[in-house]
Amino acid sequence: MSAEPQVAAPLLSVRDLHVTYRSQGGGVPAVRGVSFDLAAGETLGLAGESGCGKSTMAGALLRLLPQGTTVTGEVLLDGEDVLTMKPGRLRAVRWTEASIVFQGALHTLNPVHRIGRQMAEPIEVHDAGISSGEQRRRVEELLGVVGLPAGRADDYPHQLSGGQRQRVLIALALACNPRLLIADEPTTALDVMVQAQVLQLLEDLQQELGLAVIFITHDLSTLSTACRRLAVMYAGRIVEDGPSREVFREAAHPYTRALSAAFPVIGDMRFRLNPSGLGGDPPDPREIPPGCPFHPRCPVAESRCATEAVELWPTSRPGHTAACVRVLGADA
Amino acid sequence: MTEPLIEVRDIHVRFRGRKGTIARAVDGVDLEVRPGEVLALVGESGCGKTTLARTILGLERPAQGEVRFRGVPIDYDNASLRRFRRQVQMIFQDPNGSLNPRQTIYEAVAEGLRIQKVEGNEVARVADALSRAGLRPPERFMPLYPYEVSGGQRQRVVIAGAMVLQPELLVADEPVSSLDASVRGEILQLMLHLVQDTGIAILVVTHDLGLAWNIADRIAVMYLGRIVEQGTTEELLDDPRHPYTRALLSVVPEVERMHPEILQGEAPDPTRIPIGCRFHPRCPLVASGETARLGIEERCTGEDPSLHAVGGAVAASVHAAACHAVALALR
Repeated sequence: MSAEPQVAAPLLSVRDLHVTYRSQGGGVPAVRGVSFDLAAGETLGLAGESGCGKSTMAGALLRLLPQGTTVTGEVLLDGEDVLTMKPGRLRAVRWTEASIVFQGALHTLNPVHRIGRQMAEPIEVHDAGISSGEQRRRVEELLGVVGLPAGRADDYPHQLSGGQRQRVLIALALACNPRLLIADEPTTALDVMVQAQVLQLLEDLQQELGLAVIFITHDLSTLSTACRRLAVMYAGRIVEDGPSREVFREAAHPYTRALSAAFPVIGDMRFRLNPSGLGGDPPDPREIPPGCPFHPRCPVAESRCATEAVELWPTSRPGHTAACVRVLGADA
Repeated sequence: MTEPLIEVRDIHVRFRGRKGTIARAVDGVDLEVRPGEVLALVGESGCGKTTLARTILGLERPAQGEVRFRGVPIDYDNASLRRFRRQVQMIFQDPNGSLNPRQTIYEAVAEGLRIQKVEGNEVARVADALSRAGLRPPERFMPLYPYEVSGGQRQRVVIAGAMVLQPELLVADEPVSSLDASVRGEILQLMLHLVQDTGIAILVVTHDLGLAWNIADRIAVMYLGRIVEQGTTEELLDDPRHPYTRALLSVVPEVERMHPEILQGEAPDPTRIPIGCRFHPRCPLVASGETARLGIEERCTGEDPSLHAVGGAVAASVHAAACHAVALALR
């Protein structure tokens, strides 16, 4: 259940999503019951460490996971369940309704085709009758949207820098005017200044085109400025969800607090010569601890945390939920 | 004042590229690393920071200038270099790339002792290094293979391998950038403890100003092969003077007191270093017409600025910036 103010039907509604990978030793549950809503034009940051299930979840939203992976629950895009769509419909929905930008722009583009050719592909697939002149015009327009000169259409990927390639990938994702953009670590491999450029671009696009964006990264501090809303995942579940400044700086969940403390505030003496970390490792998805999955690493765990199941409970603040028993105590 | 551990004097390192171009990766750098200090060398990729670090380690030979260790220039013959590397150790960003998957943790840590032909009780030395790196009890970790421990523990193994020789300087190139956020803090804590417990000096190469705030005593900011600003961490991050440092700091997500100054274009090219101030084509002060207003535009496009003391000079550290506008304001 969402504690947010009631708005019109959400653009995306994820209900009790479970993803289990097939492996030799039996199933590996990577996502273990994730539910959230995303309104049109909303930006949601999804944070968590490697292995927390955030990229798996992104892949599940558009059914991009390897064959044999078990996905259950509902992914309602404009009320239509992506998980039960026929292949033809799914193909139409990818690109035109929702598209995804992966990390590592170097490997996503085909090295032997010119940029323009690669960008024309999704346009052609979704609009078979389009003339080649119109196609070219659209490619140049898209390059303009992401701040690249039209002439780049004639270049091969290796002729572009890392930041320019990432811009091409964003242009590609926008080729069919989707309403939802999923960006999985879109800036991780980029240099600080180029990263700032790409973030600025995403923010501008979100505002100009009214795009809804799910922005996935391990970098909590980037998310806190790039997104209004922030969800933190741990061991396959969302453990905290709320307004990003609040989640980042006044976290309700001890895991979020530990994660935030790893991103020092420059100028804040509390962080000066005092790096902060969290002991231990995230649990093996095959052996999730009972009770709260975070309790073995939690600095404030109580005895009940080892046995009592947790779920996303509302905190005392509107639109802010956390999966920690202490939230219940604070509420009473 | 204590004698510097490392002194870099007017170092130039050049690489020959394709089509006969020459990249001036390090283009005239003076730098000191003092015993027991943590110095952060900060800049974008391609600024020459890794090349400078490799030159300090004796892995690159400068075309001009010299590196002195305890006042003595590095000798580049093999035997001298081997002795030198006992004093100066390096750790890289990706622990997976630094560890041989077929070697146990014991063998990985003992390797340096064997290469250096260190006499004495090998097991005791390895155990001591593992404990120092926070892998306790060491006996439990010795027989394990790298894949049997977590990413953070792997980086600890790499650090133990460097510390086993009891070096005086540790050069760490992006030591935590491949690690998860929660582990990152643990490794940085470990590095601070090593400095406190053993008096080792650390030169940390990073793009991350937050990391510098976390552990560094001093910061040197590098741009296109040159140090453009240096000072104590507080001086440099509380009161950055060079427009490049200011821009770098302004795009850190957590720094809200600054308006983000996003420099356009890609990281610049060391085969074509601009004349005048090497930063002028991207400089916000030039773009905004500020330098024209100050009447220094010709200087910015024609004269290569050198490091100017910014004032408030503490004997231990002189906050200095290489910028004509900064120099003018001080006049």
